[in-house]
Amino acid sequence: MGKKKKRVPSKVWCYYCDREFDDEKILVQHQKAKHFKCHVCHKKLSTAGGMAIHVLQVHKESVTKVPNAKPGRESTDIEIYGMQGIPPDVLAAHYGEEEEAPSKAAKLDIPSTQLVGGLMPGPLGVGYPPQSTLGAVQPMYNAAVPIPPVGWAVPPRPQPWLPQHPAASVPLSAPMGYVQQPLFPVQGVRPPLAVPSTSPSLQPSQIAPPGLPVSTPTLPVSQPLFPVVNNSVPTQSSPFSASLPTSVPEGKGSIEAHSSGSASLTGGAGGNSHSYASGPNTGGPSIGPPPVIANKAPAIQPAVNEVYLVWDDEAMSMEERRMSLAKYQMHDENSQMSSIDAAIDRRILESRLAGRMAF
Amino acid sequence: MTSAHPPPAPGRELSNPPTDGISNLRFSNHSDHLLVSSWDKTVRLYDASADSLRGEFMHGGPVLDCCFHDDSSGFSASADNTVRRIVFSHGKEDILGRHDAPVRCIEYSYAAGQVITGSWDKTLKCWDPRGTSGQERTLVGTYPQPERVYSLSLVGNRLVVATAGRQVNVYDLRNMSQPEQQRESSLKYQTRCVRCYPNGTGYALSSVEGRVAMEFFDLSEASQAKKYAFKCHRKSEAGRDIVYPVNAIAFHPVYGTFATGGCDGFVNVWDGNNKKRLYQYSKYPTSIAALSFSRDGRLLAVASSYTFEEGEKPHEPDAIFVRSVNEIEVKPKPKVYPNPPA
Repeated sequence: MGKKKKRVPSKVWCYYCDREFDDEKILVQHQKAKHFKCHVCHKKLSTAGGMAIHVLQVHKESVTKVPNAKPGRESTDIEIYGMQGIPPDVLAAHYGEEEEAPSKAAKLDIPSTQLVGGLMPGPLGVGYPPQSTLGAVQPMYNAAVPIPPVGWAVPPRPQPWLPQHPAASVPLSAPMGYVQQPLFPVQGVRPPLAVPSTSPSLQPSQIAPPGLPVSTPTLPVSQPLFPVVNNSVPTQSSPFSASLPTSVPEGKGSIEAHSSGSASLTGGAGGNSHSYASGPNTGGPSIGPPPVIANKAPAIQPAVNEVYLVWDDEAMSMEERRMSLAKYQMHDENSQMSSIDAAIDRRILESRLAGRMAF
Repeated sequence: MTSAHPPPAPGRELSNPPTDGISNLRFSNHSDHLLVSSWDKTVRLYDASADSLRGEFMHGGPVLDCCFHDDSSGFSASADNTVRRIVFSHGKEDILGRHDAPVRCIEYSYAAGQVITGSWDKTLKCWDPRGTSGQERTLVGTYPQPERVYSLSLVGNRLVVATAGRQVNVYDLRNMSQPEQQRESSLKYQTRCVRCYPNGTGYALSSVEGRVAMEFFDLSEASQAKKYAFKCHRKSEAGRDIVYPVNAIAFHPVYGTFATGGCDGFVNVWDGNNKKRLYQYSKYPTSIAALSFSRDGRLLAVASSYTFEEGEKPHEPDAIFVRSVNEIEVKPKPKVYPNPPA
């Protein structure tokens, strides 16, 4: 295709964040979920303006900026729906970018575009055998992410071309805004990975490298999923054992101490220092869990989500704690009682089976 | 529009559920019988298709795990420290042996013909059930573990033992004198459950921190590069993430995909190879304590039973749901390649 005029784009894109999508339906879903969603009640509205009005009328709060929008695209006044309503100058600028040699991509604020093999199809073609899902990476668009259907296009082998631009690792520390999303997108729905436009260049390697330098190709898969409290993840196992004792006030050593404690617990002594609290924070464990930062990037985070662990007792399992409750305590007489109960129950069961009891 | 189609009913609720929490449930390899162990000190045998209670067996304390031997008998692990064999048809049970602390996990290995139990007394024991009862005759061996045993899983000749302190031992059942591998969980938080892949190449391990790690037995670099972990069973509201323990993992016997159940009351089905979530069932009344697929993968038993993660509190009644599994929920989908640009 050599037409240079305004043409039907092979991809539609979102005015607010410049991400690209395969079709408009998906784009609209994205907009509703990311830009037109009420931050208070999570209701999805149909336009940014509508969302602002809803927040004002229902929650009595004024919204001046469209959530998750790039600077300059945050106005709630401009009426966008899918691809409709995009001002012509913005439209043109977007396509102007597209037409340029992708490696120049002046408008993009992410130099990491260089990463996509410098957009030279060569290395990409070399690096990726045809049947790899990385065929999804289209070198032409450096703009917003066209999320390929495979949310995890991670090849098991190291990226030969990755270490070319270590400097480009800087933008990669752009945060994963939506860390709490299950990183397994549901099939058939484009997962709105909220990684701002760094992602296209990263697709073939790490979709969400949270603050980890790209030059560690040996961890293509596991990187994003291991929210490392420290910044370095040279190997997979050591950081975790390393970070655990530092962040958990009582590390493994104390687990030993507690295990002996719990042994006596199950013996019926009932609670050392552990007892159930009635509130949502379970029985004040003496081991405080590390203040887990769910967002991996140490810097540049939009909003650090506080993480609340429903079970935060490292020393005991839920069953052990439950066992310590009075009602489960077994003293010798109880065992005797149980065997008598057992005999009675057996007889009841036999009767039931014989149909003598209406049960 | 890929809308969330209205999910089907949570499944048929079994009648006569246990009167206290459900610790585990298992489908038989031979039929649609379901064995359920409970904190109410019973092991119950149900015919899941017929929704009938076939037997109920009392123990001296809460029963923490159970497994089938064949369709006529099974084994149980109890907090009264006993390991019992239960013969369903005769309504009889006898004590195979004892640990020094509550027995947390039990498995029967067809390959070895032995019962394997893990306990909070930090040991693993193997029992030969063919002998008469009495610890002297049946105990094959006792294997010390680094910590209290929290979960066990078997596949073929391999046994994976997960203990407190995030330790994991991998054994070859043919040589139990020492573990084949001694590992540490890749996850930073307390291990909740381990399950081996049906194809025997590795295991899935879940923690209390809403995360599952997919691990491989082969220690070669190529295999280890495939390992990964993912976050799941989390809820984000009002600017904070609520992270739930993942209590149960169950592999579909045919497709190799797996379901996880968490304290958030949801059951998710995942495709481990394609790293995608295939389905999420509608929320169950309370925490998911256990999951089991039937031998043909057409039924999924879900134990919706509060697991005391927030202490003693009023909760929904403990229930067992048996749902028919649709192929679309569990079948891996082939990778889709986007169309090349014109």
